[in-house]
Amino acid sequence: MQLQLQYFLLLAAALFCVGIYGLITSRNAVRVLMSIELMLNAVNLNLMGFSNFLDSQAIKGQVFTVFVITVAAAEAAVGLAIVLAIYRNRDTVDMEAFNLLKW
Amino acid sequence: MSEFLLQTIWMVPLYPLAGMILTIPWSPGMIRRTGPRPSGYVNLITTFFAFLHGLFALTAIWNQAPYQIFIPWLQVANLDLTLPLEISTVTVGATVVITGLNVLAQIFAVGYLEMDWGWARLFALMAFFEAGMCSLVLCNSLFFSYAILELLTLGTYLLVGFWFNQSLVVTGARDAFLTKRVGDLFLLMGVLGLYPITQTWNFTDLAEWASTAQIDPKLAALLGLALIAGPLGKCAQFPFHLWLDEAMEGPLPASILRNAVVVATGAWVLVKIQPVLSLSPVSESAMFIVGGATAIGASLISVAQIDIKRALSYLVSAYMGIVFIAVAAEQTQTALLLTFTYSLSMALLVMGIGGVVWNNTTQDLTQYGGLWSRRPVSAFAFIIGGMGLIALPPLGGFWSMQKLVEQLWISNPSIAVLVLIVNGIVAFSLTRTFGLVFAGQVKPMTYRSPEIHWPMALPMMFLSGLNLHVPLLFLQWQLLPSLETVNLTVPLSLAVSSLVGFALSGVIYLNNNWQKPVQLGWKPLQDFFAYDLYTPTLYKVSIVFVVDLISRVMYAIDRYLVDGLVNLTGIVTVFSGQTLKYNVSGKGQFYILSILLGISFLVILVSWPFLSQLLIVSK
Repeated sequence: MQLQLQYFLLLAAALFCVGIYGLITSRNAVRVLMSIELMLNAVNLNLMGFSNFLDSQAIKGQVFTVFVITVAAAEAAVGLAIVLAIYRNRDTVDMEAFNLLKW
Repeated sequence: MSEFLLQTIWMVPLYPLAGMILTIPWSPGMIRRTGPRPSGYVNLITTFFAFLHGLFALTAIWNQAPYQIFIPWLQVANLDLTLPLEISTVTVGATVVITGLNVLAQIFAVGYLEMDWGWARLFALMAFFEAGMCSLVLCNSLFFSYAILELLTLGTYLLVGFWFNQSLVVTGARDAFLTKRVGDLFLLMGVLGLYPITQTWNFTDLAEWASTAQIDPKLAALLGLALIAGPLGKCAQFPFHLWLDEAMEGPLPASILRNAVVVATGAWVLVKIQPVLSLSPVSESAMFIVGGATAIGASLISVAQIDIKRALSYLVSAYMGIVFIAVAAEQTQTALLLTFTYSLSMALLVMGIGGVVWNNTTQDLTQYGGLWSRRPVSAFAFIIGGMGLIALPPLGGFWSMQKLVEQLWISNPSIAVLVLIVNGIVAFSLTRTFGLVFAGQVKPMTYRSPEIHWPMALPMMFLSGLNLHVPLLFLQWQLLPSLETVNLTVPLSLAVSSLVGFALSGVIYLNNNWQKPVQLGWKPLQDFFAYDLYTPTLYKVSIVFVVDLISRVMYAIDRYLVDGLVNLTGIVTVFSGQTLKYNVSGKGQFYILSILLGISFLVILVSWPFLSQLLIVSK
């Protein structure tokens, strides 16, 4: 079986969807951050796939991936910091408890 | 001099108008210190000048051909509204009668309103009436006649509502305005309907047109009925007669004018449009029916009244009914003659009872009695007025009635008999009033009843003299029938009908032995006439009920349906805002979900052409 671009893209899409599902349904704020990481990884998979199959000479996609990993790390750090800040005030990381800014 | 006054005859309505404006400063709110009397004197002077002007002009126009003068008013597109004035013996003579009666009524008012502060308003309104009536008789156009009639309707409203702190006055003024207004509005329909056919509103041109006109009989009938409706309301004919009864709540000097002249304005217009009315036999028979029914009905009602003023006001309706009959019989000259004699007599009658009411306070006929020996002036005025009104030779009313009945005898014998019967009933009614007021036993209300003071006695006496001179005037004007040609049946039957009325009433009311109050054998019938055929109730259950119901329904529709629809829009908007705000749930994850749903929806929308192609291909 020849590995094809479509398989990578479908896998990445599946991973993205799993990430979305986690993002929307999780009650734990850290898990939300983890789901975001899943989605970013799905994006990275896409970039790697395209870079390998369509741009194997210049591999710009791989450069992109490096950047995404870097920014994702920074973002996770900031995210965790925000979660910590909220936790200090409200003593919980339950997303359901963060609904103060409604109508 | 009189030639110049004839040239400027159009100024006659301007004198009372000037008087009207000049009275205003003496309203209690403006000149606060010296009282309202000068307003009356100013008006008397202006009215007297108008009277003199008319009188001199009358001598100049006597035996001359009538002519018209035109005063341009408004020209717009194809409509030329020029005010034509007809200067003829009849119109100038009518202004003399109007201004003359006004002078007398105003002198009477000076006496009658001794204890009243409202002179400025009363005299201003009486002057307004005088101006309106003078311009009505001079103006020779149906359109302007209509406009003046409407002004007079407004004047009636204000004048009847003179003492507006009395509740009956307020309702009376309301009914007087609305009833006359309805008639006037029908008249407006007729006026507007006439123009496309005739292209003119000038009475002279209308008469010329009518002499050769060939129009659809249905159209002619409808036009005629609409044109009759205006005078119908103005002349207080059945079924528009209730207002005159209620208008008796107004001040008495104004009633003199109303009874004598104002109701005659309707008859004047009716006489003027008679050529148009004669185009349709339907409208002529309608006039016969209305006039006949009113004459009989109103004279019977007047017999059953116990209010002294109302006992006369129904006779006004009855006499106007006879004028309607005269116009229906195409006797316009007789109708004018009848109006003339009627005006003089009725003014005298109202003055007579006004003098009695003034210092006996009551108007209840059952509380009067025995005034004859102490009130000779009032009694004399009442007798002269009464004899002048009904057909009793040799006074004025007899000659006009004789002319009318003589011609009716040939064309419409049944109507002639009806007029004879009405004449008898009127004689009965007047004798009854006289008997109850002046004859019989003195009652507590009439125990001390001095004769009136000079401002009321003077016009009364003067008018009595005038009434007595009417036959001589007729002789002078060659209006009396020559003795050789006259058919004796008619004068005799008229005299007999009057005398029978006198005699019957005399037996009952001039006879102290007859039990009073007189009871008719059958009480409901007596009540039926005493309560004016229950006309107020009739109005209440028919037209007032329907209009009231419809207006309530319309109000409810407006209040709930129309307003409700608009309010519903607002309520829906508020409600949707109140509900949709819950979209802002405050949950971050929910916002992310909405973003994702939005994006996916947009993507599907944008890529729909490709997707559908894919689906087709895969099949």
